Amino acid sequence: MNKRLTSLLFILASIMLLAGCWDRRELNDIAIVSALGIDKVDDELLVTIQVINPGQVATVKQGGITKAPVRTFQSKARTLSEAMRKVTTFSPRAVYSSHLRMLIIGEDLAKEGMGEIIDYVVRGKEFRTDFYLSIAKNTRAENILKVLSQLETIPAHKLSSSLKLSEKSWGPIETIEINQFVNELVYKGIEPHVIGVEIIGNPEAGEKIENVEKTKADAYLKFGSVAIMRKDKLVDWLTEKESNGLHYALGKVQRAVINVPCKEKKVAIETIRTNSKIQTKVDGHQFKGTVQLHIDGAVAEVQCERMDLEKIETINLLQKKAEEKVKKDILTAIQASQKKYEVDIFGFGEALHRSHPSIWHKVKKDWHSHFKDIQVHVDVDVKLRRIGTINNSPLHEMKP
Amino acid sequence: MSFLKFFKKSIDKKSFEQLLADKEKQDSSEQPQSKETIKRSLHENLKKIREAFGNSSDIVTREIRIGRQGEIRVGIIYTDGLINSEANHNFVMESLMFELRRNEVDLKDLAGLTLLNYIKEMVLTVGSIEDVHDFNVITNAVLSGKVVLLFDGYEQGFAVEMKGGKERGVQETTTETTIRGPREGFTENLRVNTSLIRRKIKDHRLWIESKKVGKVTKTEVSIMYIKGIVREEVVQEVRSRIEQIDIDGILESGYIEELIQDDSYTPFPTIYNTERPDIVAGHLLEGRVAILVDGTPFVLTVPSIFVQFLQSPEDYYQRADISSLIRFLRFFGFFTALLAPSLYVAITTFHQEMLPTQLLISLAAQREGVPFPAFIEAFLMEIMLEILREAGLRMPRAIGQAVSIVGTLVVGTAAVDAGIVSAAMVIVVAFTAISSFMVSSYDLAITVRMLRFVFMGLAASFGLFGIILGLVALVLHLSSLRSFGVPYLSPMAPFTLADQKDVFIRLPRRLLIFRPRVFSSQQNTKREKSLFQNENQRKKK
Repeated sequence: MNKRLTSLLFILASIMLLAGCWDRRELNDIAIVSALGIDKVDDELLVTIQVINPGQVATVKQGGITKAPVRTFQSKARTLSEAMRKVTTFSPRAVYSSHLRMLIIGEDLAKEGMGEIIDYVVRGKEFRTDFYLSIAKNTRAENILKVLSQLETIPAHKLSSSLKLSEKSWGPIETIEINQFVNELVYKGIEPHVIGVEIIGNPEAGEKIENVEKTKADAYLKFGSVAIMRKDKLVDWLTEKESNGLHYALGKVQRAVINVPCKEKKVAIETIRTNSKIQTKVDGHQFKGTVQLHIDGAVAEVQCERMDLEKIETINLLQKKAEEKVKKDILTAIQASQKKYEVDIFGFGEALHRSHPSIWHKVKKDWHSHFKDIQVHVDVDVKLRRIGTINNSPLHEMKP
Repeated sequence: MSFLKFFKKSIDKKSFEQLLADKEKQDSSEQPQSKETIKRSLHENLKKIREAFGNSSDIVTREIRIGRQGEIRVGIIYTDGLINSEANHNFVMESLMFELRRNEVDLKDLAGLTLLNYIKEMVLTVGSIEDVHDFNVITNAVLSGKVVLLFDGYEQGFAVEMKGGKERGVQETTTETTIRGPREGFTENLRVNTSLIRRKIKDHRLWIESKKVGKVTKTEVSIMYIKGIVREEVVQEVRSRIEQIDIDGILESGYIEELIQDDSYTPFPTIYNTERPDIVAGHLLEGRVAILVDGTPFVLTVPSIFVQFLQSPEDYYQRADISSLIRFLRFFGFFTALLAPSLYVAITTFHQEMLPTQLLISLAAQREGVPFPAFIEAFLMEIMLEILREAGLRMPRAIGQAVSIVGTLVVGTAAVDAGIVSAAMVIVVAFTAISSFMVSSYDLAITVRMLRFVFMGLAASFGLFGIILGLVALVLHLSSLRSFGVPYLSPMAPFTLADQKDVFIRLPRRLLIFRPRVFSSQQNTKREKSLFQNENQRKKK
């Protein structure tokens, strides 16, 4: 018994000592990557990683920032794996990408096709596939990663939080997680779109710590338009209006503002919730697309005088005008995608696949030639649910 | 004459203690003692007793004379300090020396009784008197707080129960405190302890069986149970296990616990011990057996199950909803006390992706410049904590504060400032320590302290995988344990739905109609009026 027990303990101890610990890494041995930027330079991939400097981030409260809260490392190689490993030749710590927040693709690479980099970030075990994807507009990804940010000390966190926030409150912006991009890349009958990020101001000033010491930064990052892709290649950038229309049609808008004209001024209507449905019907040899959009809204701001919100007619009028406004945006976006780019970013093909799979199989090979001729009917229904905390505007009651 | 006959018979009938003494005589191989009856001569007897005790100074052997002319010589033998000397003076010495003389009793004519019977039945104003004939019985009696009377010219004596002396009174327990509930705790005196329980359960079915255990110490061990509620097999098992004990001395109930527990190769306690009479009374009412040991305030109760070590008597004294919530908290505390450092080690060295980014950054910032791996850091801090705790327990109370100040300063502040350990680790260790105090049973808390290190080792080698492996092994081990025939993990495994009312939650008393099925005998599980209801039903049949 005793002998058996000792040998058992011995075996257990050896298992723990011999088989254990092989993949352990201490917190001070890892370089936490917050953002990854990829560009294409002379046929090679230029990888820029933004690594958090924990000491600088966590001690902000005590004495303010003295050194940059992040560091960037760059390396060039034919494959991403190689490039990431090359980083260790000059980084003292192992690259650790589980906490990656942003993946930024340079515009040049996006135009050439970004398919080759997607596999690495989806396959790698360290990557959590919940980070956001964005394309650097008019610049390289490396430049984006070098700009320091205010309020949020880590630039990648600044990007992801501001993206999340504006998706909730601003129509033209939408978060694109890598998963969604990959899905749209694979799904038949829909083409992916990606949000763009650009540098406003002087990029070189943005790299310095002084940039964050001012009340108005010399350079900052801003999300703007939507890039539409054909497969994995960037085609063009949508305008703000088109982006807005696209997001309404896709039901991605949560809380946004619709400006409705009244006389020469505006009435702002905020959306509370939206619900959209894209369908494709077959009518003889013709495909007919419909976009049904339902918006619940509230009156947020009234600029014009003499508007009686207590009357149902006024509300009905506002609803109608808002419907028209949104419909126009959507139609503009559809127009652009059909005629200008011939790219089905709305997913009419996918809708056809769902409703008429057999027909879809016949037309899927040359879908974009069919797509550009689809007649799309847009049906917007706006319901004003609330008018805020006052009834009529003070302007309505104002002395004449 | 018939009366005399009866009396003779009763003298012949040996008492339990005599039987026990006889048996011990047969058993003990160290001191082969033959039965040695006392002589007629008082002088010889006293001399022999003095020799047997090696003239120990606390053994008082005194000769007095009684009767009108002092014609009868009587020897009084007792242990000073073990008897109530005031009662001895008042009820033994005074009765013998004054009453006999004052009443002008004619020792020749004693209402038809012999002298000894006359003294026993009409003179000695004390409760319990036994007849003694044998020297071994006399020594035992003297040592267990009895006053032995020997009469010159008679081969018989009396052992008068006169237990007394200085003893700690009933005080508030210091180890198991409650906000609400009785304050009293057991004492070192077995009789006081049984009386504390009797005062709570006033039923003739509360039975006590006593036995002397320990060849040298001859410690009295009593088992207590409520006949009709308890399972007979359990009582039989307790009885036989105690009978099998062969040891020279029992100094604390821990000796008994170790000798009768089901499985020695387990870190978990399978026998519950408590200082509180209300807990014991509650356990008896559920159908458990209590084992009381003379000389210690800790009473054992069997069978014991795992969850009861995480329950407190207060759970039953306060509102059911509060009790249930606090029970959940205690389970949580149990797991954090067991796993918090190992989870910290596993997550920070293997699974950094599980942490929120901000937390990871702040932990990483704290670890900047810490020289040891997280495991060594945790290990050092936990060892330090255990040292502090043990030191605080063992040293004189007066310097306790000094140690705690040094401990908090050194461990808490200086170590972090010096960059030897990270602040997060101090938080984890402190949290663990506080959680382990929440485990209501000290025995289980020690188990948790021990297993914590095992889990830390597993976490350091295999990460969360190791912790899960450890937990699986732990559950397997727990489900293999039994306490006096009751599975240790019951009523979870094997699952008894009816008993779940009082495990993780405590339902309102209105709904707790049945006794836990795992303990009580199957015919008698209803709490309400159970004892008498069943009796009536049986009568009707």
